[in-house]
Amino acid sequence: MLEVDSYEHNVLARASLDHCVKCTICETQCPVMRVTPLFSGPKYVGPQAERYRHGESVDHSLDYCSSCGTCTLVCPQGVKIAELNSVARAAMKRDHMPLRDQIISRTTLLGTVMTPVAPIANAVLKFKPARIVAEKTVGIHRDAAMPTAQLTTFTSWFKRHTPSTTPTRGKIIFFHGCAGKYFEVDTAVKAVEVLEHIGYEVVVPKQGCCGMPLQSNGIFDAARKSVRTLAGQLQAGPAGVPIVSTAASCAGMIRHEAREIMGVTDDALIEAGSRTYDISEFLLGLADKGELPLDDLKRIDTEVCYHAPCQLKGQGMGTPAVQLLQLIPGVSVVESGATCCGIAGTYGLKKEKFDVGQAVGKPLFDKVKEVNPELAVCDTETCRWQIRNATGAQVVHPIAFIHEAYGLGKATEPKAGSV
Amino acid sequence: MARIVVIGAGFSGLAAALRLRQLNHEVTLVAKGVGGLQLSQGTVDILGYAPEWVQAPFKSFAAFIEANPDHPYATIGTQPVKRGLTWLSDLLPGLVVGDMEKNVCLPTPVGAMRPTALYQPSMASGVLTKGKSYAIVGFNQLKDFSPEFCAANLTRTPLPTGGSVTATAYRIDLEVAPGEADSSALRYARALDDRPEFRTRLADAVKTVIGPEDIVGLPACLGLDDPTIHIDLAQAIGRPVFEIPLLPPGVPGMRINEALMRALRKAGARLVLGSFITGFEASAGSIVSVTVQQAGHDRELPADIVVYAPGGFESGALTLDSAGKISERTFDLPLTGTNAADLVTGDYWHDQALFKVGVRTDSTMRALGPDGAPVYGNLYAVGSILSGATRWAEKSGEGIALGSAFAAVNAIGGGK
Ligand SMILES: Cc1cc2nc3c(=O)[nH]c(=O)nc-3n(C[C@H](O)[C@H](O)[C@H](O)COP(=O)(O)OP(=O)(O)OC[C@H]3O[C@@H](n4cnc5c(N)ncnc54)[C@H](O)[C@@H]3O)c2cc1C
Repeated sequence: MLEVDSYEHNVLARASLDHCVKCTICETQCPVMRVTPLFSGPKYVGPQAERYRHGESVDHSLDYCSSCGTCTLVCPQGVKIAELNSVARAAMKRDHMPLRDQIISRTTLLGTVMTPVAPIANAVLKFKPARIVAEKTVGIHRDAAMPTAQLTTFTSWFKRHTPSTTPTRGKIIFFHGCAGKYFEVDTAVKAVEVLEHIGYEVVVPKQGCCGMPLQSNGIFDAARKSVRTLAGQLQAGPAGVPIVSTAASCAGMIRHEAREIMGVTDDALIEAGSRTYDISEFLLGLADKGELPLDDLKRIDTEVCYHAPCQLKGQGMGTPAVQLLQLIPGVSVVESGATCCGIAGTYGLKKEKFDVGQAVGKPLFDKVKEVNPELAVCDTETCRWQIRNATGAQVVHPIAFIHEAYGLGKATEPKAGSV
Repeated sequence: MARIVVIGAGFSGLAAALRLRQLNHEVTLVAKGVGGLQLSQGTVDILGYAPEWVQAPFKSFAAFIEANPDHPYATIGTQPVKRGLTWLSDLLPGLVVGDMEKNVCLPTPVGAMRPTALYQPSMASGVLTKGKSYAIVGFNQLKDFSPEFCAANLTRTPLPTGGSVTATAYRIDLEVAPGEADSSALRYARALDDRPEFRTRLADAVKTVIGPEDIVGLPACLGLDDPTIHIDLAQAIGRPVFEIPLLPPGVPGMRINEALMRALRKAGARLVLGSFITGFEASAGSIVSVTVQQAGHDRELPADIVVYAPGGFESGALTLDSAGKISERTFDLPLTGTNAADLVTGDYWHDQALFKVGVRTDSTMRALGPDGAPVYGNLYAVGSILSGATRWAEKSGEGIALGSAFAAVNAIGGGK
């Protein structure tokens, strides 16, 4: 396969466009088309425009596609609509990549800069005049959700911590993702404590960014470099053991997006992807085999809204968190039923797309407020920030509930790293 | 309680999955994409032509089965179809009305007259009735519906049961957003759901243009989440109002699809949407697991029972290669025909035997091999994959889908 930011490397996705029967199912489900006329919809921009593209852009409304992947998911014919669009967007933006898109897609850099000065960084992000300046100069919307920097990184916590149990089940690799390292430290810590509690020896190889934000912004060269490095780093851990992650979208990058969107087919990547699991998927798999200690799960009386992120749904595993949470006595899970929260990685941060993102997320925000305005559950970091920002609810990863049910802490109380 | 995997999210898969879940089984529904419901009219056909216009579907069953011994209804029988229809009507009273013993005549968007048994409350006033007059109103910005075409055909066509109707076409301007010149029915439906003032705007515009006709027909776009908008409109306009189903995306079909999906979620079925089933493992004549295509690595999903509801040619479950060979994609099930060349005639209007190709089953819906024995003891085939019917010509697709789902459920029995 060729590695250019045009259609050639995407032979398979391109071949799939002939399977489009114009049934319009993708159009009925596209959350962006629903709220704005600026995007002419997945069918036009995807399989239809692709026929004319030959590496050139024929329809600039493509930039308004959020890459949520809903179209690919709902297509009964297996057309890779979202993948086609992502490749075409990279080609379209190649010669004039906005500075803003280059900054926001470098999560590791943001984390490295913010962590040492977390309180200051957080204060600046909450300081309206600074946000207005950022909107004017960089193009990040003044009201967009921003991560909260933490004083410690996950990695430094992990080095200092002592496992609570002696391993009985062998080794497991934990993949935390950039957000888990710098911003959502609490989630990563709780995941490790749960895995150790049920008897795993958790190994955390050094790991960089998966390149997902770069990919979704169309910066493919840098994204490929990132994901290749990461695949190598994960492979440096113990061979053949499961790689388990709380960063659902980053896991998706390793499992399929790097290959399907950017044409990366290195053996290391494919091998790492073949043993990567979302943590709820992994734990539910244990439960289904009768290998998850269910009797130890303590009662938590609560009703919460759970939202399955687009990037998780796109991996074809269903919504394992729903079944997993229901294993906890007393927990009642209401699925949001909403398509997308509107953040779509970095889409909803952008000044020209902020309103679209908010409109996309509105049905979800309403549902969260209706079910439990205090607390909601979602698997990916940026979606949690978006839901928090829009509803004021605390939004936690499903693992926070399992952690509490095993008596290891409280779902609503941060375990470590907090400012 | 059995672990049941249902494959397919069309009418038959959704009905089977929900019913099995209600009967306390552990149900996982796997489907690559949304099923055919929202491409349909959102009505329930049982038997419309045999080949003449059918007035009472079940009264015609015996003769129809005798004339078509290979038809799915011959294996399903009457009872499962009736049970499925009753179950659906009880489940979705706000979306399904009508008398299963009696077909009605509903207008299509081109003004043809179509037999169907159960329909949505929003279509009830559109049951074409001898001597009545209809105002057919189109929107200039909704290109999928020509009121002139519809009205002229309705007026010139005699009713299948005798007599005729008169219809007059009207047009209104109704922009969903300022300057929007080409909107889908779904755009209208969502605007009517979300914006009460848009309902008023529609009612006022209709009131201004129509003449003294008895009843008002509108394109089917009267709300997706709220199926009662037709009642508000009828009140505001002062006449009965009904919807005429359009081309896909069909709003009435989407209503049923979403209602069934919501019910499945609520009932606690596991849903795996967006994934193909690509293979399976069998042992001692039974399927033991099916392979779910996932990102990075496939998953073997253990199953005590598999209900296979993958649709037919349209959904890709039946495939035709460039040499004209027909095959079934997932389990390589034996088909009633394998060579397309023998099954297609050059006459467009002639019955095409190709479309009757599919899987044969016993009365419990287990897929049969050439020897007449079940291929796998626990594999049930339902819906459009079944051989022997030309669904769109007979108007039998939904009855087959529901009936076969209920025949399978009946054979599987209750959980606990
Ligand atoms: C042009 C046309 C007109 C028609 N008109 C009429 C009519 O007027 N009246 C009438 O009664 N009927 C009509 N029919 C028939 C009607 O569409 C079908 O009877 C009905 O949709 C059958 O539903 P189903 O559940 O069997 O399949 P479908 O609705 O096709 O659903 C199949 C499901 O299975 C999934 N699937 C398939 N393979 C796999 C796999 N390997 N792994 C995972 N998922 C899979 C698909 O994605 C989909 O979700 C018409 C059909 C056509 C094509």
